[in-house]
Parts: sequence; C-alpha cells; structure tokens
Amino acid sequence: MPRSDFWSGLVVAGFGLLALIWMIPNYAGSNPFAQMPPGLVPSIAAWIMIVCGGIVALKGLVKLIVSGISPLTTEINWSAIGWALWPFLFVAVAIWFMNFIKITWFGAILIGLMLFLLGERRWWLILGCSVVPPVLLYFLSVYMMRIGVV
Amino acid sequence: MKHTFAAVFGATMLIAPMALADSWQPERPMTMVIGFAPGGSTDIQGRVLARTLEEHFGQPVNVVNQPGGGGAVALTRFLNADPDGHTFMFGVMLGLTFSPIVTETEYDIDDFRYAGTLVGGQFGVVARGDAPYQSFEELVAHGKETPMTYAQQLPMDQAIMELIADQEGIDLAIVPTGGGGGMAPLLLGGEVDFAFSGGTHAQYTPTGEMNVLAFLTRERSPFYPDVPTLVELGYPYAMDDFRSFFLPGGTPDEIVQAFEDAARFAVEHEPFVEVTVENTLHPIVFMDAEETEATIRDIRTANEALMAN
Amino acid sequence: MDFSAVGAAAAEALTLASFIGIGGGVLLGYVVGVVPGLSRSVAISIAIPLTFYMSPYIAISFLIGLSKGTAAGSAVSAILLNAPGEASSAATALDGYPLAKQGKPKTALQVGLIASVMGDILATIILIFVAIPFARVALMFGPYEMAAILAFALVFIAGLSSGNVFKGLAAGGLGIFLGTIGLDNQTGLPRLTFGYTELMDGMPLIAVAIGTLALSEMFIQSEKLRYDRANMSVRLENRADDHITMPIFKRILPTIFRGTGIGTFVGALPGLGPSVGSFMSYGMAQKAAKQPELFGKGEPKGIAASESADNAVIPAALIPLFGLGIPGNVSAALLIGAFAIHGITVGPLLLRDNPELLYSIFAGMILASLIMLVLGWYGLMVFAQITRVPPHVVIPIVIFFCLAGMMLQGYGTFGLIILMAFALLGYLMKKYDYSFVTFLVAFIITPMLELNLRQSIILSRGNWEILLNRPIALFFIVCTLIALIALIIRTFQTDKAAAGAPVSE
Repeated sequence: MPRSDFWSGLVVAGFGLLALIWMIPNYAGSNPFAQMPPGLVPSIAAWIMIVCGGIVALKGLVKLIVSGISPLTTEINWSAIGWALWPFLFVAVAIWFMNFIKITWFGAILIGLMLFLLGERRWWLILGCSVVPPVLLYFLSVYMMRIGVV
Repeated sequence: MKHTFAAVFGATMLIAPMALADSWQPERPMTMVIGFAPGGSTDIQGRVLARTLEEHFGQPVNVVNQPGGGGAVALTRFLNADPDGHTFMFGVMLGLTFSPIVTETEYDIDDFRYAGTLVGGQFGVVARGDAPYQSFEELVAHGKETPMTYAQQLPMDQAIMELIADQEGIDLAIVPTGGGGGMAPLLLGGEVDFAFSGGTHAQYTPTGEMNVLAFLTRERSPFYPDVPTLVELGYPYAMDDFRSFFLPGGTPDEIVQAFEDAARFAVEHEPFVEVTVENTLHPIVFMDAEETEATIRDIRTANEALMAN
Repeated sequence: MDFSAVGAAAAEALTLASFIGIGGGVLLGYVVGVVPGLSRSVAISIAIPLTFYMSPYIAISFLIGLSKGTAAGSAVSAILLNAPGEASSAATALDGYPLAKQGKPKTALQVGLIASVMGDILATIILIFVAIPFARVALMFGPYEMAAILAFALVFIAGLSSGNVFKGLAAGGLGIFLGTIGLDNQTGLPRLTFGYTELMDGMPLIAVAIGTLALSEMFIQSEKLRYDRANMSVRLENRADDHITMPIFKRILPTIFRGTGIGTFVGALPGLGPSVGSFMSYGMAQKAAKQPELFGKGEPKGIAASESADNAVIPAALIPLFGLGIPGNVSAALLIGAFAIHGITVGPLLLRDNPELLYSIFAGMILASLIMLVLGWYGLMVFAQITRVPPHVVIPIVIFFCLAGMMLQGYGTFGLIILMAFALLGYLMKKYDYSFVTFLVAFIITPMLELNLRQSIILSRGNWEILLNRPIALFFIVCTLIALIALIIRTFQTDKAAAGAPVSE
C-alpha cells in the first residue's frame, strides 16, 4: 500500500513539524536554569516523528513512482469510507447528548440504536441487550460505588 | 447496611427537631466531591467525614472522586454545581492558593464560598534519621561546608529553599520528585540530603528512618512539638494548607451556616477525629467560615509574594 | 520466622469469613476485569468503601485478591475480543486473540490462567521468603539506575514491533510527545496543556489505554462486519483438542518462570508498573524463542510470558511496601490507604509489631491465587460462551461499557472526548500498521524516564564519572546501547529485504 504509506507518513511528519514550530514554542513553557528544559523531550519526539514519518512517506513516494501509480486517486470507495466512519460519528453524537442526559439513562438508546444500525432486527434481542447493561451500570454506580447516577 | 440506615434515621429524628429546628436541612442524598483519587489521605478522611455528615444531616452522602491537577480539575467542574447545598466539596486549599498563580484557571477564590475548616496540613523539611545533622541549624552549618541536594515537590517549597540557600551561602542542587511517593526512595536511598514532605514523613518518623528538621507551616505540628517552624528559626517564609468545605458561589448564607455547624460537629465526632489524627496523621484544625476565607486569601497573598521572587 | 505466628496466621486465613471475603474480592475483580472499559481503578473504588466493614486482615486480602482478579480477568477480554481491559494485558492479546481465532479459545484462556496463577504464587513465595529481608536492595536503584532501566525498556520494546520499523518509531515518537503533556515536574508549570485544567496531570492513562486498545478495536470490528460477517466471531466448536495439554504446559513452563522473574524484578522497583513488566517479558520470550516468527500468530508462549509477568508484578509491588513502606505502584499506594483506614501504618515495623497480620495477609494472598485458579477454570467455561454471541451484539455493549467506565472515573465529558480521540488514533494506527504497542509503551515510560534523567543530571552536577561507581546503571546503559545497535541493524536488514522483494504490500 505505497499510497497509504505516503499519505500517513506525510501526516505524521506534518504533525511533528506542527509540534516543533507551533505547539512547543508556544505551550511548552521555559526554564532557563534547567539542563533539560521543558521543551527538550517534546522536541526530540517531534524530530523522531518528522524523520521517521518522512522516511515512510519518501519510501512510499519512491514506490509510487517506480510502479507508476499516482499519489491521488479518483476511485474512492465512498460507501466503504462511510461504513468505516459512521460508528465514530454515532458515538461522537452520543457523547454530545451526554452533556444533557446521563449515560445511565441514555445508554439504552445508544446500544439499541447501534444494534439496529448494525442490522439486528429481533426486537426482544435489541430490548434485552440495550436494557441490561445500563441496569448493571446503575447498580454499580449507585449501590456499589455509591457515587450516584453517572 | 439496612439497620445502620435505620439507626441513623432514628437518631436524627430525635435530635433534628430540637437542635436544628430553624436551620437549613438537605432534602435528598448529598454529593461530596473530592479532588483526589481514591486511597489518598484526603480521600480517606473524606469518606469517614461522609459518614459523619450522614449522621449530622440525616441524608446519605455519596463520595465522588474527580482527580487531577492537585484539586484544580474538581474546582473547575465545581463551577457548574447548583448552589443548593446538596453538592459540596471537601477540598485542599492549594487549588485556590497556588494553582491560579502558576496557570490560567477558569475559577478564582471569589467563585466559591467557604464554610469551615476541619483538617490542617503539615508541610515540613525532612532528612534521613542517620544523617549527620539532626536539626535545621546543623543542616545549615553542614551545608556551608559541603554542597547539598534537596528534593522539591512544589515550586513554592523550591522557592523557599532557594532563598534560604542564597541567604546562608549553601551550594544547593534542587531535584524534582513528582510527589511524596517519589521522595521516599530518593531520601532513604541516600540520593538526596534532605527533602520536602507534605505528610509522607508520618509513616517514617516512628521507625526513626526520617527526621523532621523544620516545619514550613506557620504553627508547630501537635505531633512534633519539639520541631520548630522556619519562621521561628528566623526565615520569614511560610507555606500552609488546610482542608475545608467548599460550596458553589451564590450559596445562601443559611446553607453556609449549616455547613459551618457540620464542620463544628465533625471535629468533635470520634470516628472522624480518630481517622484523621491516628490513621492519616493530620492535625484537626477548626476554623469558621469567615476565618477560612480570610486564611485562603492570606495564603494566596503570601504565595504570590513568594513566587514573585 | 516465628512459627507460632505462622500457625495462628494460617488458622485465621482459613476461617469461613476470610474465605468469603477473599473469594468475593477475586470474583469482583475478575468480573470487572473481564468487562472491557472497567479497569482496576473502578474495582478498587468499589472496594474501598466495602473494606470499612471488614477486619484489617480480610480487608487487605480482599483488595489484593481484587487486584489479582482484575489482572487475570482482563486477559479474558484480551483473548476473546482483542479488547484488553488494561494496558498490561495488551501483550496478551497479541497472541491470545490469534490463537482464539484459530479455534482454540479455551486453550488460550487456560494458558493465560495457568500463567497468571503460577506467576502469582511464585512471586508471592519470593515476596515472603526472599524479598522482604532484602527489600533494601531496591534502594540501590537510584535515579541513574532507573533512568538506564527505563531507557533500556523503551528501546527494547520499540524493537519489538513486527511491522515497518520506521512506522513503529514514528508511533513511539507520538507516544513520547503525548507523554510529556501535563505539569512540568521541575517548574510545576503546565506544559502543552493548551490551557485545559483537565490535562494538568497529563493525558489520563485510562483514556489512552481504553481508547487505543478496546474502543478502537470495536470500530475496527464494526467496519469488518460489512465484509466478513460470517467469519468474524471466534468459534467455540467444542473441539477435542481445544484444551491445554501436557506438552503445551511443558513448553510454556520456562517462559512462565522467566516471566515471573521479570515481573518480580519490575514490581520490586518502585514506579515501573505492570505494563512495563508484561511487555518486557513478552519481548524477552520472543528473543529467547527458537522460532520467534511464531509470536504474534497465536504462540502460547506469548500469552504465558505476558500474563505471568503481569500477575507477578502485583505481589512484587508489595516488596518495597512491606520492606520499606514505599508503594511499588498505584495499586500498592491504594493499599496504604486501606491500611490507614484500619489504623495500620505499613512498613518495616509491621513485621516487628504485627507479624500475625502480615503472615495472615501472605496466607490470604496464596489462598486468593488458589481461589482464582478454581474460579477462573470454571469461569472460563462460562466466559468462553461469549464467543457464541455474534460480534454485532458485542460491539455496542462494549462501546457502552468503555464510555461508562470513563464516566465512573469522574473525568466527565472531557474524558469521553479524549477517549474518542484516542479510539480514532488507535483505529488509524491499526489500519495503517503503525505499532500501537510502541506508542503505548513510549507514552507510559516517557514521564518516568524524563523525571529520572533530570534527577540524574542535577544530582551528578553534570559529572559523568559518577556513573563509574554505579555498576547497575552502567550495565543497563550497555544493554540499551546493544538494543539500539540491534534495532539499527534490523532496520537496515528489513530495508534490504523490502528492497529485494517485489512490491507485494
């Protein structure tokens, strides 16, 4: 997969570069008296990412050129990407909802809806699987940990 | 469990109408926030305190741990708590007297109300029991001749030691430790000459493995009546911390009053006193609401002056 | 050793109440450990209020049993679901899950259980007879030695990643970078926290571990559902050959002994923790094996190495606790709290003032291991049935428990967002073959390594000759250099091999 090597290496090296020129100077703080200033270890880490990510990207690029593949492609399988992406979006939206509704109450909907989306249609199974875990959580948080409903 | 509740309920039925006839009473289970992970000394004291409060208020008190940043995370989240007295915090003052100085916090002292102090801290300077110096004066004398090493835990104790080292002409190298757990191996293993202790020493002084040379607090510790404070030794620096009830900003006075009464009840209550003094080796220090807030502001001013150096 | 005290201790250890207390602890820990997302710290926060009502001996044994139970339980989800509950079980999943997929889930679980229990009992025996009198040896490991050991662990484990070496190193670099977030231990000022108070103690390890290990795996599996629904689940076929046999046991026995040794060493040094132990042990087993290429493809030795070390760390962490009063890791630090609730100060004096209690605790620990063996043996028959549940039912439930586990820790919505970010990161790393093992180990080791390096530099006042008086530190520095050279050589070899081979990826 030279194409994904190229792009992923580029992203890693890019993150390292971003860390080196923006995050570390602005947010690492300074300590002029220290032999190991606060920015030293993060900078080493950033350099590792730049060098190693760069090598991965470069090797990917060489392979791309040798085998004559373009780094960009128009044959993107959108439905595959969508299928990989929707669980993330689903959980992200669920987390947003948890700002307002506690996970103990919201949990049943979270599990039930996702089960439905994953293709389960037997209502008794959806009901059982979505109700039992939140009940366990309620028991755990309220009676065993005594921290109230989470 | 069931009969404990029944007993508590029965007891409060008897006392409540008489003693607390016109003061504020909780209507449902209460939540006590602790800004540290389970198992630390604040957590242990807090959990025993929760049971003491159940007895006092007649409502169950649930303990919630919100660890992080020496209490700063819990304080940040506490900003959103309802000021109805059902959510309160058993907190250390460091999150208010120190964190806002070194970092931008979303909260400040004015965002909360303070309803009574129960427990005192005991910050000290410790050395190994078999060290060639048994008091702070001897340490200073020793340090004038040989270079020394010191293990810090907070920027404030580091600042104090740097000032003293400058004043006395000691060649002092200061090592970070990352907390009390990291200090003990360094000191006992002989890697450093002396160290800051936020209370860790309590475990080691009975065996003679560690010696408290001086306290950084304003007053001497009741457990070590012979150990002087830095101020007594002629260094005008102090570092204090107390554990108190914090309430959300805008809490009505009558609720603050109720918690002050609860604090007064707790410092007399046998199980809480026993666990604090005998098991976690902290002194019981009671302050009322007004004094607590004044102390927090005092310490903050002192810390700001210290960190400005 | 005072034998009347031992006798009295054994007598107390065998009362019905203690049996129930310890058994309850092991069971609770095991169940919590099996559920991905609920980790040891959840189990301990459940347990601490319960211990108020117990006698000191039962309370402590209950907590130790709980730790042991979670260590053994988290292997179950690692093996069956590839979703380890703890970072220290991540190494177990590397071989456990492939072996389970090959139709031998019971073998994998049994190997894991036997390795856990043996590592446990052997380390407990070392704790009782050897270590406490010699606990002071741990004090010989000062900042120089710790820095050298941590550097060695980092380089050694970085060399483990099976895939592309540069990708592994890049992942390690990211782990180091994220590991530096939090308060700078020297100045006490925030570093790379971007103004978030929640990050002052660093990225919460629980969020990183659950996110990259368990939650990301659920997203990978839900993606696979589309293509491979029929072959996804681990089949439980009641095959006659699906159980541990004498030849397998004999084959893994040396690995268990080695793993126990490594786990005991790591546990006895304050601060290192079980993840370092289990990965070191896994790496050593791979290096020592005659056929290292079998590792990662369902080699029982891999499971045995990881699990024996993971469990050996728990009793070994009590060596500095009982010998010196210094907790070996977070769980041991929690035990100090539990002791304090009962008015007992832990340390060398415990042996002098309260030997009955100490011997009772030892007896309780061995009892806990035996209960775990019985419970685990029958429990795995039940848990193996998880494999009958189709994956599309498992996925939403595991996701729910991962989110709930985070909420139970009191991190709030911010914790959930971090959890999701690491789940995404873990997903991308697994998908594009960046070693998440290197990432996680670098993340865990970096803060400790940096602290010890700083201490060494300050204490030595820049004088390198001080190392000549530190033979242990020198030894590990040499080991680090050897591991580093081996890593570089391997890098060039794989490069040549890749250049020689046609583009097959």
